[in-house]
Amino acid sequence: MATNVLICDDSSFARKQMARAIPKEWEVDIHFAGDGVEGVQAIREGKGEVVFLDLTMPNMDGYGVLETIRKEDLPAMVIVVSGDIQPDAQDRVRKLGAMAFIKKPIDADKAREVLTEYGILTGA
Amino acid sequence: MSVTSTAVSLNEDQRDCYQELTNVAMGQAADRLARLLDVYVVLPIPKVNLIESSDLHMAIQDAETDSAMSAVCQGFIGSGIAGEALLLFNDTSFSDLAALMNYGGELDRYGELELLMDVSSLLIGACIQGIGEQLEIHFNQGHPVVLGQHCKVDDILKSGNHQWTKTLAIEIHYTIEHVNIDCDLLLLFTEDSVAKLNNKINYLLD
Repeated sequence: MATNVLICDDSSFARKQMARAIPKEWEVDIHFAGDGVEGVQAIREGKGEVVFLDLTMPNMDGYGVLETIRKEDLPAMVIVVSGDIQPDAQDRVRKLGAMAFIKKPIDADKAREVLTEYGILTGA
Repeated sequence: MSVTSTAVSLNEDQRDCYQELTNVAMGQAADRLARLLDVYVVLPIPKVNLIESSDLHMAIQDAETDSAMSAVCQGFIGSGIAGEALLLFNDTSFSDLAALMNYGGELDRYGELELLMDVSSLLIGACIQGIGEQLEIHFNQGHPVVLGQHCKVDDILKSGNHQWTKTLAIEIHYTIEHVNIDCDLLLLFTEDSVAKLNNKINYLLD
């Protein structure tokens, strides 16, 4: 069965870049959200089994999304994809329950490596 | 081929793309500042606008226009694309910056100048190179020039002698968590550069 993947980023350019970096052989339904509020809504609807999450967004930022996921105990595996590469940012998102951190600009090999490392992408 | 003078423009996709490229570049700059000062730099969403040079002060939305500022500008050029980076530093930020940098000397005009130069070269350099890398342009940077110390924003902007009328202005407002440090980084691209930059951007958007 296809995995529901959510790409949550306020930039349409970044969403496109992220969608392109998803391994071709991975069977997925890709959903998009333009800010944290939309993102949380999509996750509640089950569209975010795996979430690629940006941090700097209007309305609700990535930290807010992670806090909501934790508070509501939503079933989502979150990989943060951000340009904010400060050591503190990486620490904070991990403490908030993010599984991994990938720096922008997203690179297809790095995405594959992380997905494989956490057993999300198997076989092939 | 006829030469037509096309008006410089910016559509929504292009604006979004500039914003995202800046987002990545300013993250790299913030990372360097964070490691230097051992702080967390709060990253905003950068503002991208195509404006008349005479309306430059309108691009500076976040700077406190009433407070005293010090400013540095530095030109950059590469692949036929040229512009200026302008760092506006709020004067009230100097004491906290000096403490974080373990600055031992007296914090007079010269001390402030030294700190201003250190921060501006770090932020401007990392931002310009970060944007250049993503567009595969190597930017050469000119010497930094101090535009003024303890001035009002309007006076600083008046001193800029911009030859072009329209400019692509990217504004990044940096603040640092828990301390009183804030500054505004403006990247201004010349009118002639915008068409070339847009071509590069369109290639990424394809």
